[in-house]
Amino acid sequence: MSLTPSQWAALLPLILPALGACLIPLMALDKDQTTAKWIRAVMYGTALLAVGASFWYLTDLWKTGAQPSFFQLRMDRLAQFTGIFVLVAAAMTILQSWDHFHQEGWVKGETLSLLLFSVTGMMLFASTNHFVVLFLGLELFSLPLYALVGTVRARPESAEGGMKYFLTGAVASSCFLMGGVLIYGLSGTLDLSAAAFTLKAQGLATDPLVLVGAALMLLGFLFKVSAVPFHQWTPDAYEASPHPIAGFMSVATKGVALIALLRIFGGSFAPLGNLGVKMQSVIAVLAVATLVVGNLTALVQTNVKRMLAYSSISHAGYLLLGFVAGTPAAYNGVLYYLVIYLAMNMGAFGLLTAVGLVGERTTFDDLRGLGWKRPAMGIAAAIFMLSLAGIPPMGGFYGKYMIFRELVATGHVGMAILGVLASLVSAYYYLRFLVALFLQAPSVEAERLASDRPEVHAPLAGATVLVCAAIVLAGGFLQTFLADGFARRALVDGLGLIR
Amino acid sequence: MTWLNSHPLTFLVFAPALLGLLILALPNTLGRLSRLLGFMGALAVLVLSLAWLLGHSGAGATTVAEQAPWFTLVGLPVDYALTVDGLNLWLVLLTTFLVPLTMLGTWESIKDRLGTFAAMFLLLETGMLGALMAQDLFFFYLFWEGMLIPMYFMIGIWGGDERRYAANKFFLYTLSGSLLWLVALLYLANKAGGFNPAVMSQAASALPFDVQCWLFIAFAVAFAIKVPLFPLHTWLPDAHVQAPTAGSVILAGVLLKLGGYGFIRFAIPMFPAAAMHYAKPLALLSVIAIVYGALVAMVQRDIKKLVAYSSVSHMGFVMLGLASFTVIGTQGAMLQMLNHGISTGALFLLVGMLYDRAHTRMIADFGGVAVKMPIFTTFFLIVTLSSIGLPLTNGFVGEFWILNGAFLSGFGWGRIYASVATSGVVLGAVYMLWMFKRVFWGPENKDADCGTHHLHTDLNAREIAVMLPIVVLILWMGIHPRTFVAVSEAPVVALLQDAKAPAIRTFVLKPAVHEAPAADTAAHDAAPGPGHETPAPAAHEVHR
Repeated sequence: MSLTPSQWAALLPLILPALGACLIPLMALDKDQTTAKWIRAVMYGTALLAVGASFWYLTDLWKTGAQPSFFQLRMDRLAQFTGIFVLVAAAMTILQSWDHFHQEGWVKGETLSLLLFSVTGMMLFASTNHFVVLFLGLELFSLPLYALVGTVRARPESAEGGMKYFLTGAVASSCFLMGGVLIYGLSGTLDLSAAAFTLKAQGLATDPLVLVGAALMLLGFLFKVSAVPFHQWTPDAYEASPHPIAGFMSVATKGVALIALLRIFGGSFAPLGNLGVKMQSVIAVLAVATLVVGNLTALVQTNVKRMLAYSSISHAGYLLLGFVAGTPAAYNGVLYYLVIYLAMNMGAFGLLTAVGLVGERTTFDDLRGLGWKRPAMGIAAAIFMLSLAGIPPMGGFYGKYMIFRELVATGHVGMAILGVLASLVSAYYYLRFLVALFLQAPSVEAERLASDRPEVHAPLAGATVLVCAAIVLAGGFLQTFLADGFARRALVDGLGLIR
Repeated sequence: MTWLNSHPLTFLVFAPALLGLLILALPNTLGRLSRLLGFMGALAVLVLSLAWLLGHSGAGATTVAEQAPWFTLVGLPVDYALTVDGLNLWLVLLTTFLVPLTMLGTWESIKDRLGTFAAMFLLLETGMLGALMAQDLFFFYLFWEGMLIPMYFMIGIWGGDERRYAANKFFLYTLSGSLLWLVALLYLANKAGGFNPAVMSQAASALPFDVQCWLFIAFAVAFAIKVPLFPLHTWLPDAHVQAPTAGSVILAGVLLKLGGYGFIRFAIPMFPAAAMHYAKPLALLSVIAIVYGALVAMVQRDIKKLVAYSSVSHMGFVMLGLASFTVIGTQGAMLQMLNHGISTGALFLLVGMLYDRAHTRMIADFGGVAVKMPIFTTFFLIVTLSSIGLPLTNGFVGEFWILNGAFLSGFGWGRIYASVATSGVVLGAVYMLWMFKRVFWGPENKDADCGTHHLHTDLNAREIAVMLPIVVLILWMGIHPRTFVAVSEAPVVALLQDAKAPAIRTFVLKPAVHEAPAADTAAHDAAPGPGHETPAPAAHEVHR
């Protein structure tokens, strides 16, 4: 079978990381200790090259404005947006994990391979309307992540977290599958856009079975988004995994799940108007629950990673509020928020690696006084935390602003008030991070222990943190470029949502 | 230079922040240089602001403005709009004046991380100036919130023992008001299609009255927290007491003013009807704040806490003046904001100077300070008298105008509230003079551990240089207040006319303009009013 150039163009961004993922295990076969260091460098280089080539190709594609497709794989603007989003997160994860594993102890090279497979799956997941392809993508990005969570086998929590994530994830996946099967059974087609038209034509738009099917699919998405009540895996999985992987999961999994949700429920299922309204009210209830539970639980955490996990749950709440408003401008806000959120969370998790807090040493007490010892990291941390809390002039404020604005415009003033109250609560625990960094001196014992440890050298992680800080600040001052030039065009050209 | 000529305000607002970021990048070992650099920068901003802003006011028309579209996000345009006009001219100058003065006054107080402190101070100056000048509500909101960040670190890093608690409380308290306000802002911006205050107030007037009331409440709560108005004042004593001296001065001197300024600039003009509707509750809370603040100040054992509670009382006067909806009351409130900025700022500076020497602020630890530090005592006495509101000092004029305005406001509650509020003046004298007596007079406290024992030196040349301009201003404002309220008269009159205040409430201060309103007021029982509000010292006899 020969492919046309356009089909190649659609496939290539996925093939490149997959190719890298296949090459890396071959290198990992080498058991010679003397060459291990070099092999490792080559593996990381290959992974970066694969991600970089795909990124370069996608940005080129974005510039030309072409939207090629390969059968059910549609590399439209929204898919390109997702690809760029995921690849940036992956590149940062690779860079951070070099420094992270350098400190925590090296693990087998398959880690990188799994990460790249996951990246491929994510890009597939967010670029199709076809149910089977969607499910393939879901599994292709989830299964490597289950394994990645349990990467550090030396720690018992690691296996526990991975197992927990896997079991709950498997249930969610099967629910998702069941939902798709129900819709397929009633409509007779696996293409979800076509299914929506068929169902509408048959007058089955509000059939209970269709509702159940859509709800089960929604459950699958919300599990990946880690919305309450499907959030239980999040803190354990994040705590178990190495910091860069936790950062990657918090950003990329949530991001692609939301974008796929947008593509399916905002785009494909749009003809089933009534169903959308019903799903919107479900999302509204869950978004409120997510905001309340995520923020209140984050308040009482003593471990930074668990705090960040609950914070990521609460951010799922804000992002879902954009779906409650459900206007193109709100989706624009969601995509914009995701870009900033990528920088904030990759930055926050990378920060832990950069200041040398790996393994178990991730409590607030371990952070004490570090802002003064590492001023650049301290300032970056302040930028991330204030942005997560939504304080202007950081980028996070504009994300919330766009979403709340649409909520108010669509008459959801109560939800907007709840949203701002939630971010008020969140400000407290983000400030705790800054209190520990700047306002508390380390305890005498910690000082003594710190002087025994070797100096932390994490230049790659440090560099990603600074890049993230720059992105967050850019979100605050060049907001139109990101919101209109990037996020909005993905919506307009990709989904045909025009405002 | 051409860029500077067309963008003076941009330069004034953002130059401190740029310098602050530069200082932040300097290594910690260059702390002393950073401090000097910060001070010189702040001084340059003061000189430039005086030259540029006062230079324009010679002809009477005082508006300096810059406006350009900034960005449009989700369909709402945001303007880059900075303006200095009659309403904020003196507050802007107060800010640029207090920043270098405070830096100089607390030169030796900060011992560590000098560079970071100077940087935070300059960033704070940008936030304050931006909030004072911004003429687009979104733009204003950015500064209003952004200002919290440097203040948070100032309290949290260089504050007292409870600094972390105080900093968090300050941050979250203020944030809670402004976040709810943001929702109201978004609601109104949606109706208006933008954040321009003129467009927004037009849209607001078209809304049903109860919606207007809700929006006004959201605006008022955000500003009232900053003022702070009873019962939203509880963050203030913590923040003031724990903040380093410089933080307290700026907090009292400028940040609290932003609350009152917010009412005058945004809340009242945008919802005049709702504001009139809520005049009585606002006035009631102000009167409670005046009396309650004074009573609580009386029982304080810590001088700084006493001054902090006196702030609640004094800012209560500002709110009472605004709630009177008279020109004289509003003008009094404008003046009282400047008064409070200078007098309370000076008090915090003086308490800081005392603390730097004695390392205690407890009233009981002192006694007989007058013998050991005669120059300090002199300055403290002048500032105390100004804070009490002695005639010939600034405090008197502002309080007198406000009480006058409230008394003659024509509201049913006006006379009673004004009478009760007057007791605040008396109580002010009680707590300030009683504190003064216990600290400065009486026999010298001989206890080896007490504060007086540690006082070895009187004020040095630097500290005297800080206090002298303040004393000059105190007397100038007391003797010729028109310098400071002339520019705000026209905007205030326009404001009250928009608020459709009854004629009696809009009589003005200038003798020449008395005629017209006087005719209207004949029917009212407050007809002799116009004679009282001349700021000439002769009126002092009426007051006391």
